[in-house]
Amino acid sequence: MLFLTKLAFKNLARHRNRTVITAMIIALAVFIYIFYDSLLSGMTVMSYGTLIDYETGHLQVVNRAYWDEEEKLPLKNLLTVDETLQSQLRNVRGFVAASPELNFQARLNNGWDELPVMGKGIEPEAFKGVFALEDQLVAGEMFAAGEHRAVLGKRLADLLDLTVGDYITMQVKDKNKGFNTLEVEIAGLVHTSNPNVNQNIVYVPLDLAQEALAVEGQVSKVILRLAGQDRAAGAAAELERSLKKHDPDLAAYPWNQLEAFAFFGAVELEKQVILAIILLIAAIAIINTVILAALERMGEIGMMKALGLQKKEVVYTFVMESTGIGLLGGSIGILLGMLLVWFLAKYGIDFGALVGIEMSAFGLPVLGKIYGVWNPQGMLEVFAFGVGISFLASLWPAYWAAGKDPVKAIDHH
Amino acid sequence: MALLELKGVKKTYDQGKIEVPALRGIDLQVEPGEFTTIFGPSGSGKTTLLNLVGCLDKPTAGTIIFDGQKLDDLAQKDLAMLRRHQVGFIFQSYNLIPVLTAYENVEFALRLVNKYNQREIRDRVLRILAAVGLEGLADRRPNELSGGQKQRVAIARALVKEPKLVLADEPSANLDSKTSEEVLAVMAKMNKELGTTFIFSTHDPRVMAYARRLIEIRDGLIARDQRREPDALLN
Repeated sequence: MLFLTKLAFKNLARHRNRTVITAMIIALAVFIYIFYDSLLSGMTVMSYGTLIDYETGHLQVVNRAYWDEEEKLPLKNLLTVDETLQSQLRNVRGFVAASPELNFQARLNNGWDELPVMGKGIEPEAFKGVFALEDQLVAGEMFAAGEHRAVLGKRLADLLDLTVGDYITMQVKDKNKGFNTLEVEIAGLVHTSNPNVNQNIVYVPLDLAQEALAVEGQVSKVILRLAGQDRAAGAAAELERSLKKHDPDLAAYPWNQLEAFAFFGAVELEKQVILAIILLIAAIAIINTVILAALERMGEIGMMKALGLQKKEVVYTFVMESTGIGLLGGSIGILLGMLLVWFLAKYGIDFGALVGIEMSAFGLPVLGKIYGVWNPQGMLEVFAFGVGISFLASLWPAYWAAGKDPVKAIDHH
Repeated sequence: MALLELKGVKKTYDQGKIEVPALRGIDLQVEPGEFTTIFGPSGSGKTTLLNLVGCLDKPTAGTIIFDGQKLDDLAQKDLAMLRRHQVGFIFQSYNLIPVLTAYENVEFALRLVNKYNQREIRDRVLRILAAVGLEGLADRRPNELSGGQKQRVAIARALVKEPKLVLADEPSANLDSKTSEEVLAVMAKMNKELGTTFIFSTHDPRVMAYARRLIEIRDGLIARDQRREPDALLN
């Protein structure tokens, strides 16, 4: 077998151009996947940060019944943040800050135009401990508790031709289904990497929102910031245990279970689909190469069988040759991919600047440069897939070649 | 005991609706150490007969006994093993592996036998290459060798495992007369020194001149079977 392996690898040099072209197809496939994986993973990491910093926090405490209907922003199944709950939250391992918020549906009116928005009643001081929104103010300032003022996204303000100091009206339906309005002055405008914050949300003081919605003392959820996002799952489990004693209806959800992150499951799936397409192309290249090699070497196959080689040994020779192409292509792809990932991780790439439109305008929670991330496991996997597919794709043509009648194969011209 | 015995061997090729008889009943015995030439016009059944005795093909009817073993009972896998250990082939177009050197092409046949250690393999390969007159050319690839030299490599490859039978199908067809003579002389020498049985299929008179037994095939039947002193050796 060792001699056949040696022969298989020597055969790689027989048609250098063809070997190189096939290997380059595999290399390109591996390279594209590594590039795509690095960029997408980088975008995912940045997006996680963006969503956590501006929208979800690390952990959310919410009534289970509210959680099930959260997208409707209901005003029932709310929760009251009493002293016991506050104490339980503070005792969670890795606790940094907690911010209660009341989310509600509203229609934002500037006097002549109207847009549906999500209202968020917040306590500015507590909010600051959990979210980095104040750092992203591009005009004005954050309001204080009790003020009839609001902060909204610059994009939303632009849509309604609003600026700091303008007055807006938010039409809401209170808990009792009665219509009410919130008249507020724009205190500040923010522009973040989170498109949802930029164009859908209006922040108002919590007490003002509670009064308008007739839900005094109640909030939709409490959002926690922890010492690190990896602590969220453990903290959620820990908090669930202590909440059970206090109020069994309450639950704690870590950031990665939140609706906003469901998008990344689709990203992962998309990556797998692209991987499958890329590998299919590589497989076709390999099948083509093995068939060509087999046709060219038909006489040789006949000779090998005359020498006493069994079918499985002829198959082995061809399969090893293809695996060699896979190893070559995979290695080149990995090397080129590593170079590109190094560049992406160090310098990043500003797609917004390239196309002249911010990525957040396309709904992607990314602002500015996207930095690639290293994913050694992903690289090894795609390398293994590249070699594996070279191996598998060659089996059928190799069996086809090895199954040829030696008499006919010897006479083949 | 005969090395090879054929009893009523027939071979018919099925070509769609037509059946083409290639051999129509061959009875033949070949003794160990014979240097036999099968000749006859194109399409007479020479190559078919060679393929059958070389275990590359199976007869439609009749029995072939090789070294006391009936081939009819053997599976493809067993036939392959028989070829690997007991039969050497020399082809008209050499069929050397272009990416291997002369040494490696010969080594290939010996590696398959899986009976010798590294040192023994080296000694045997170099010895047989020297015996066929390729001393100093072991590291050359087929494209660096002349036609005669390539055929010598093929002879060395067929003989290195010391098979009981060597089959050569038109071995001189691609060679000029001088080279052809040289190559045939090498095979005659090997037959004499190693006692290996050679069977040729040819219509080249130069090959026939070396044979101690001439078998003429016509229309799938043996038309003549003559044992004699070879002309070339007498000359």
